Order: sequence, then C-alpha cells, then structure tokens
Amino acid sequence: MMLMKESVIMKIHYGTALGAVFLTVIHILMRMTQDFHQSLEYENVLANYEMIGYAILLELLLILISVHGFNGLRVILLEIKQGHTYEKVVSYGCIVAMAILIAYGTRTILMASMGMV
Amino acid sequence: MEKEPKAREGIKGWINPAKYGKFGIERFAWILMRITGLGLLAYFIAHIYETSNILNGKEVWDEMLAMTQTTEGHIFLALVIGMCVFHTGNGIRLMLVQMGYGIGKAQRPDYPYKPQSLNMKGKACIYATIGIAALAMWYGITVMFG
Repeated sequence: MMLMKESVIMKIHYGTALGAVFLTVIHILMRMTQDFHQSLEYENVLANYEMIGYAILLELLLILISVHGFNGLRVILLEIKQGHTYEKVVSYGCIVAMAILIAYGTRTILMASMGMV
Repeated sequence: MEKEPKAREGIKGWINPAKYGKFGIERFAWILMRITGLGLLAYFIAHIYETSNILNGKEVWDEMLAMTQTTEGHIFLALVIGMCVFHTGNGIRLMLVQMGYGIGKAQRPDYPYKPQSLNMKGKACIYATIGIAALAMWYGITVMFG
C-alpha cells in the first residue's frame, strides 16, 4: 500500500530540510549568546527551556529533523533492497520510530518548560 | 511489460571502489551524503536522549555533560559539525539540480557520451562544500578548545 506519492514525500523532505537548517542556525546562535561551556550549564539550559518561544522552536526542530531524518533513512534502506513486504516494513518502521522519537523529545520539552524537574 | 531491474548490488554497490573511478567526485558526494545522513540521524537520537537528562536533576546533567567535555567529545562534535555542513551544502546543491539549475542544456549524445549533468559547475560545488565543511570543523574546534 502506498501511503503517499513519492514526489509529495520528496517535497516534504526538501521542505523539512530547509526549515531544519533555518531553525538549527538559531539553535546554535543561542549557544553563542554567551561562552559556549557556560551556555551548557544546567541553570542556563533549563532557563532556555522555560522561554516559551525557544521551547516552541525546539519542538518544531524536533519534528522537522525527525521527519527529514527518518524519511532519509527510509530512502537509503529502499535503495539498498526492494520487495513488497520489505518496503512496507521499512516505511511503517520508520514512521513508528519517528513517532516514538518525537513523543520522547516532546516529553522532555514539555516537562522542562513547565519546571517539572 | 518488462520488470524494472532491481538494485541487486545493495550495500556492496556502495563500497565498490570501481564505481568511484567511473563516476569520480559525484559518486564520492553520493556516498558521503548517505554516510553523513546516517551519522547525523544517530547523533540526533543520541542528542534527544542526552538532553532528556535535564529532567533528572543537576548532578545527572553534569555527569552527562562531562562525557562530552573531553578531547574525544570535542573531536566527535567537530565531526558532527563537518557532517552537518556537508549534508546541508550538498543537499542544497541537489535541490537546485532537481529544479534544473546547473545541469546544462540537452545535447545530441556523441562519443564519449559524457553526461551534461556531470559538469564542472557540479564538481566545483562539491569541492566547495567539502572545503566549507572543513572550515566549519576548524571553527568548531577553536570554539570548543578555546
């Protein structure tokens, strides 16, 4: 069963790539607002999570990179081997892995931003 | 209708050195794109796990951070920076190629049948991307060790 046309999936792949690059640049620039090592200290990282705007940016980044990364993995696995069952297992496996990673990352962002540490 | 031939070589096709001689830097960029993609996905999963330790308190966070604040940790992060910059630069090149930029005009196929798409513009972009990735790694090293 085909979930979506490959041409549409590739447009999503490119769109998530461009979005992820833009947000990653902001994510890295946040580390440059102070000394690199200082910016990674517990209190500073927690303060980052508690900024609502930055928490939203992290959530978007999590979704964009997960979608792009697991679709990339799917493409690589389908290049290596083909077959009806194999393609189905790879496609659904990547969707499930992506959903688990997004759920796990979202849990961290939500709990940290709400001060549940 | 005849069935399309499958990519029967699989992973062996990736590492076959004969392919590099035949297709040059474009083949190198093709495999590097896949290796950096897999590397970045592995790093991303590890990064999500690493940052989730913020929920376990300051002590656990400091312990986890100490693991990355070593010479080996910094070298690993420099490699991640290099992979990220190459993957981004080459990815943008591939998007432009898919939109039809930089692949030359269609011509009559004459001997020795050189594909118009594998031209000097593409090669220059790949070399430039590798150079920028190396510069970004160097900058990352100066920040982390500085």
